Amino acid sequence: MSTEARIREFIHDTFLADDFGDDDSFLKTGLIDSTGMLELVAFIEEAFAIEVQDSELLPANLDSVRNLARFVERKTQRAAE
Amino acid sequence: MCGIAGYTFARGLPVGEHPAHAARLARMTASLRHRGPDAQRGVLLDGAALGHARLAIVDVEGGRQPMIDHATGVAVVYNGEIYNHVELRERWGGSYAFRTRSDTEVLLAGYVREGIDAVSRFVGQFAFAIFDPRDGATWLGRDRVGICPLYYTRTPEGWAFASEIKALMAGGHVKAALDAVGVHQSIRLWSPLAPRTCFRDVLALPPAHVARLDGRRIALSRYWDLPIPNPARASSGQEGPASRRLAELLADAVHLTLRADVPVSAYLSGGLDSSLVSALAQRELGGSLQTFSMSFARPEYDEAPFQRQAARALRTDHRVAAVDDADIAALLPRVVWHGEQVLIRSAPAPLLGLSGLVRSTGTKVVLTGEGADEFFWGYDLFKETKLRAFWARQPASRLRPALLSRLYPYMPRMRQSPEVMSQFYGIGLDRPDAPAFSHQLRWAATGRIARLFSPSFAGAVEGSDPPGDVVAAMPPDVARSGPLARAQYIEAQTLLSGYLLSAQGDRVLLGNSVEGRFPFLDHRVIEFACALPEGLKLRVLVEKYLLRRLARDLLPPSLAERTKQPYRAPVVGALVGPSAPDWARRALSRDAVDEAGVFSGEKIERLAAHAAASGGHETEGNAMALMAVASAHLLHERLVRGFEVPSADVRAVEVSAP
Repeated sequence: MSTEARIREFIHDTFLADDFGDDDSFLKTGLIDSTGMLELVAFIEEAFAIEVQDSELLPANLDSVRNLARFVERKTQRAAE
Repeated sequence: MCGIAGYTFARGLPVGEHPAHAARLARMTASLRHRGPDAQRGVLLDGAALGHARLAIVDVEGGRQPMIDHATGVAVVYNGEIYNHVELRERWGGSYAFRTRSDTEVLLAGYVREGIDAVSRFVGQFAFAIFDPRDGATWLGRDRVGICPLYYTRTPEGWAFASEIKALMAGGHVKAALDAVGVHQSIRLWSPLAPRTCFRDVLALPPAHVARLDGRRIALSRYWDLPIPNPARASSGQEGPASRRLAELLADAVHLTLRADVPVSAYLSGGLDSSLVSALAQRELGGSLQTFSMSFARPEYDEAPFQRQAARALRTDHRVAAVDDADIAALLPRVVWHGEQVLIRSAPAPLLGLSGLVRSTGTKVVLTGEGADEFFWGYDLFKETKLRAFWARQPASRLRPALLSRLYPYMPRMRQSPEVMSQFYGIGLDRPDAPAFSHQLRWAATGRIARLFSPSFAGAVEGSDPPGDVVAAMPPDVARSGPLARAQYIEAQTLLSGYLLSAQGDRVLLGNSVEGRFPFLDHRVIEFACALPEGLKLRVLVEKYLLRRLARDLLPPSLAERTKQPYRAPVVGALVGPSAPDWARRALSRDAVDEAGVFSGEKIERLAAHAAASGGHETEGNAMALMAVASAHLLHERLVRGFEVPSADVRAVEVSAP
């Protein structure tokens, strides 16, 4: 399964959201609250074996399926290098 | 306290119709038996039927109801306590021949002497119905903050009214159906916004109101208003006199709430407010105070060590109800049956267990600390509002939002990122003068539950906007006041009367025939608190500042200085997972959810599966959603689908014609 598909599945199951686009902001659409955001971070750390630094907690990294997938891919590539 | 029920009809009722009306009144009164197991009586008058279920506390012999004034024929049924009945008896004793020692007769005498305006002389908690044969009108009335409940509905012949909605159903005055907007308000705001309820065609008489019923007409009027908090800054030299005045007032409030012909005990939560009330009560009783508290099996909810400390320091005879997830699950069906509203928290459940413990010892009356957090500003909501307003003055500041992490222990990770912080906590920061600025975070959280609604329910509430309803109902002078004053107003309108004093107060106390009494809700204490400058309530980030100062003289420092711990109870462990009972499994099943009609069965099935897999670490929003689903199901199953009033209870009601 692709990174994006895994993230979509997690959001679908955890936040019970059905119709959201890959670029929809989790925050602006009210899909995820602050504890939900921490759950999301915990999920990507575990599922993709990466570590998210506090300084990386930025909307640009985390706030949509596409941003999150890009962020995860950058982190996993860096880890592989 | 007690339960009241009744209805009005055209005068000149044919005698042949008496038996049918007597039976109807008996069913209504019998459905409130838990509120008054000591006696259930009713009377058919020329224009109204009045029923009463009695919990005998003052003048056990003489206080029988319905009570009728023989000179005028005015009849009353009344639930609650008029604490200053001794003083009022002196006031009216010269012109009214009292036959009993009861406070009920003080209500009757006040009405006969001064008309309905007598209500503003009462210090206490009450709901009543008065039938006046001189003009054929019926008056309903309710205390200033809504401690005692009172509901009503229009009927083909007039009006029906009762302490609980189920009595209106038992009398056949309404067809039970959920009110979509009332349910939506309960989910968004924690409670329906009076006069609306979770049931169609059933209205709540708002606190501090009386209503005159005449034929099919009704006229409501307000006899008291919550004062707008004083916006002044505290100046030096105010603190000492204010503290002394508070000590006097609270001591008097406790003194009055101890008036009873049966023993009065107290709840001891381990927090500041109930410890203060208990300390004052113990001083007055000279050492015989009995106290009650609950302990939680889950340590994150438990305050037992502080309760033990308080009980030891105050030398009370203390008893504890231990509560675990299975107890909460087992209590919830009764909580919803009594509470008659959709809930997003399970916190009323342990309190129903606690009142059961109280009643099992033979005690009928408890004092609690309810009300201090609303009017002396104990809730985190007030701190949050203050901090967000401070942040709003410099929205680009990185340091100002960081102060919020004092309130949210899980926040440190996010503090590094002002962008993320402002997305979550900066909602509405651009409009700090908006009327509901204080409640935007809380309402955003409950708003997320809406995505789980069924398509038909979502359609039914389309266009309904509970936060907008609160703002629309806000009086102009409140809207013009400051953020903290508005926060207090909204808390009093939504949380206090609609939830804390109702589903988490009156209903879970009277569910086990126990009366609660609330010294902090004495209106003289409320008026005093509202007149205090802000700095004597929330000083920087120290909540209930003046109460703490008073507590230094009455409590050990560890209790006087303890930061408030919000009272909460577990939800997820009670409703899903290995210890969940059968009713909860059914409540969260696709078919049952679809049948209740509020939520989507398919989505709730997924939610329940996610919660079961979470190992107790479910998000707050999902926990609230689960509780809403379970309570909507219970309301549907226990009340909407119909219920039987036990026939032995109906037969036990004694109905007479005068």
